[in-house]
Amino acid sequence: MSTVRIRRPTSTPSLISLVSMIDVMMILLFFFMVTSTYLDLDMVPAVQQADESSEAPPPTTAPGADGAILVRIGADGGAVVGGTALTLDALSDMIRTRLSDAPLTPVVLLPSGGADMQALISVMDRLTLAGVQRLRVIRLEAQP
Amino acid sequence: MRIVRPPRKSHPETIVALIDVVFFLLVFFMLIGRMDATAPFTVTPPSGTTGADMPSGGMTLSIAPDGALALDGTESTLDAALTQISERLSTEPDLLIRVNADQATELRHVLPLVGRIETLGARDVVLVVTPNPA
Repeated sequence: MSTVRIRRPTSTPSLISLVSMIDVMMILLFFFMVTSTYLDLDMVPAVQQADESSEAPPPTTAPGADGAILVRIGADGGAVVGGTALTLDALSDMIRTRLSDAPLTPVVLLPSGGADMQALISVMDRLTLAGVQRLRVIRLEAQP
Repeated sequence: MRIVRPPRKSHPETIVALIDVVFFLLVFFMLIGRMDATAPFTVTPPSGTTGADMPSGGMTLSIAPDGALALDGTESTLDAALTQISERLSTEPDLLIRVNADQATELRHVLPLVGRIETLGARDVVLVVTPNPA
């Protein structure tokens, strides 16, 4: 009895070794994993690009004289409206009440130079959440 | 006739799956990563709830709590930073300027600077905040 051996064709070796490519990919992977820092950042516009034709004219009267609400931020970060210190919650309630009658009432923020960034952002947050649509931050400049 | 089956060779683990996974991870990290130069000092931005998503690009001006400045990761003086911003604005009028001030930085270091950047002709200046869902 004769036996027939069927030989499987030998696979041709690949021309380019994959090992070096894997090495390079692993190095790149480790590089990006090690150097990446995950920062989740948002932004609050400070100067906005505005269409000049649709831009409202700048106020010619002092803040508060044209119905605008002037909110001061003290050096301690507290909000003061009309000479009365308000908590952030009280500020929100007051602004909501004022905006219920006139939703487009402008709000002018005058922060003290001694207040910190967190105080400014916290007050701006509360004002935005209360529905303020026209918010402006002003600062006093010393006369030369 | 008897056909003799050749002894089955045990296949080594295929590396194709490994390459797929590594490639996936590589593309993932490349896509989510944004190459931003970090300031030479620690800056912890204030937290805010009403911030919008930060667009990429532009210049980042970092301000330390003591008022020290860094422009795109390089420590800088006020005049040098304003000069560099002015030069970039002359070629890119729509350049986005990100002001990344520490949460403890006093506004006397920030607001006058924003005003001066605005006078240079910048039309998009934003304050960097960290989102606070609470």
